[in-house]
Amino acid sequence: MNLIIISALSGVVMMFSGLFVKNNRTISYIATALIIFLSLATMCELGAKSWFNIPQAEAMLRTSVYGKLIGVILTIATTFYFVLSGKDIERVGKHVADYYALMFFVLAGAGILLSFQNLLMLFLGVEILTIPLFILTGAQKQNLKSNEASLKYFLMGAFSTGIMLMGIVLIYGAMGSFDLSVIGKKAQFATPIHGANLMGLLLLLASMAFKVSAAPFHFWTPDVYDGAPTVFTSFMATIVKVAAVVAFIRLFEGSMEPFHTSKWQILVSILIACTLLVGNITAVFQQSVKRMLAYSSISQAGYMLFAVFAFNAFGKEGITIYGLSYSLATIGIFSVLSKMQDITFDGFNGLARQYPGIAFALTVFVLSLAGIPLTGGFLGKFYMISAGAASNSSYTWLFILAILCAAVSVYYYFRIIQAMYFKERVSDTPVFEVPVSKAFPILLIVVAALIILIGINPQILLQYLYF
Amino acid sequence: MGATQIIFWILSIVAVFSAIMVITRKNPVYSVLYLIITFFAISGHYVLMNAQFLAIVNIIVYAGAILVLFLFVLMLMNLNKESEPKKNKFMLWASAFAGGLLLYVLLAAVHTAHIENVKGIHVGNIGLVSELGKALFTTYVVPFEITSILFLSAMVGAVVIGKKD
Repeated sequence: MNLIIISALSGVVMMFSGLFVKNNRTISYIATALIIFLSLATMCELGAKSWFNIPQAEAMLRTSVYGKLIGVILTIATTFYFVLSGKDIERVGKHVADYYALMFFVLAGAGILLSFQNLLMLFLGVEILTIPLFILTGAQKQNLKSNEASLKYFLMGAFSTGIMLMGIVLIYGAMGSFDLSVIGKKAQFATPIHGANLMGLLLLLASMAFKVSAAPFHFWTPDVYDGAPTVFTSFMATIVKVAAVVAFIRLFEGSMEPFHTSKWQILVSILIACTLLVGNITAVFQQSVKRMLAYSSISQAGYMLFAVFAFNAFGKEGITIYGLSYSLATIGIFSVLSKMQDITFDGFNGLARQYPGIAFALTVFVLSLAGIPLTGGFLGKFYMISAGAASNSSYTWLFILAILCAAVSVYYYFRIIQAMYFKERVSDTPVFEVPVSKAFPILLIVVAALIILIGINPQILLQYLYF
Repeated sequence: MGATQIIFWILSIVAVFSAIMVITRKNPVYSVLYLIITFFAISGHYVLMNAQFLAIVNIIVYAGAILVLFLFVLMLMNLNKESEPKKNKFMLWASAFAGGLLLYVLLAAVHTAHIENVKGIHVGNIGLVSELGKALFTTYVVPFEITSILFLSAMVGAVVIGKKD
């Protein structure tokens, strides 16, 4: 509850600060202070009661330890995002305070998605999560590509929300309730599965797959991520995606008992295989790093979907590690990318000579995304695949495919390292559009150190799951 | 025949008559205007069935917002004989099929309905505004409040998008 209420209030505060504060830097400081307070508040909720006692909320929102921990991860990632990319948010357009407000609202939506107990709340959470994103995508009003991306995202998002509502209605018709636990209990005794219920579940599966951009529902992702201002792409590809994956797990876990059979795993394994193949193979051919990261975010979602495949404790631990390490690494790369002149691979040429600190941190991020041992990304992938293996070991082809895809991803991720360390800079244009501050490389290295710390000792994170 | 029954028959006649007028008029603007009358008549039926909220929402949303939008679009499109699209045989059959399906569903619903459970006029209170308010502010108070975040973010977004840079 802390996450939902305080982030919504922070959004309101940001709206008003846009009215009274004219200096953009000050607005960023206010937002950073608020997000730090928000992450402290979510941490306080771990293993303790929420600050807000709302008895009516019990039937609608039920926060588990797991949801609370993911909330902490999301707020920490957002904190780093605000600190690293604050200056780039200020450069997007004139309504800086409103952008921050919208991002706080997105966090409130994420908080709902982490704890919904009722399909109504799922719908509200998804809407609160996506509607601000349509606007953030179109924030560069002079940029045609940004406008196009925004419109495309809006139309596709509205369509998928329509499909989700249809699914919810069918489930309500079959089960007579919006409550997840009631639906789950009724579904246990309803064998064979009710036709309308099955149809509703399939529609919900399609719409959730759209929200996490799993293939074959991924077609909006590259265009939207490419067209959106780079800073906001970073936010969409990390925090929003992790929240959507957790909602995906929460929706189908426990409450959808009849689906937990082998049939469910056949469906999800096809979804995962498509996502991994499409994401990785298409990413290989990209010249723009931004577009490459968009495709890589599709493939990373494929790994996260292993938790939906498995529905076991292993998968939950995996999502925790994966969510944090993936978010931090992607936020780090995007924070550098959004400052750069040239966002193709050539733009990275010779970066290591001029900015050794930034190049080192970027190397760690890239290694983590590729899943090289000692980084959080490796452990994340390891947990996800072993979660799948623990739940059903007969899907050997899927696990081999996942490992092969990780190997493919090494190629396109390492092109960044190759460009930074082994290529000379040909043109005289500066690497960055704006001069980077002295603190920026240090902050990046702190983030990189955090990723390595998770990779070496994941228990500092996972112990909170068993409070 | 009591007063409510007389009102019921009048409303029914108006509704059916204007519904027929909707589909027989050549000028689409007249069709839309007749459609508004249909909606008003149906709202009257809702009131008779003690569903005040539904009646009000029907007038505000359908007659007020959606049909005015219809009118705007029709007038902006400036329809006339020359710009009329060619009528497609296939489209005709498809629409007849779709309409027939709807008719089938409605007839099936009427056929399987338990007539003895149907309440008379002015019975039942599930559609009253007070009942709805009670549900909204007790069982569904949390989603109701959280919707405000949704609207707030949508409003902020509308301002951000709509403002001149």
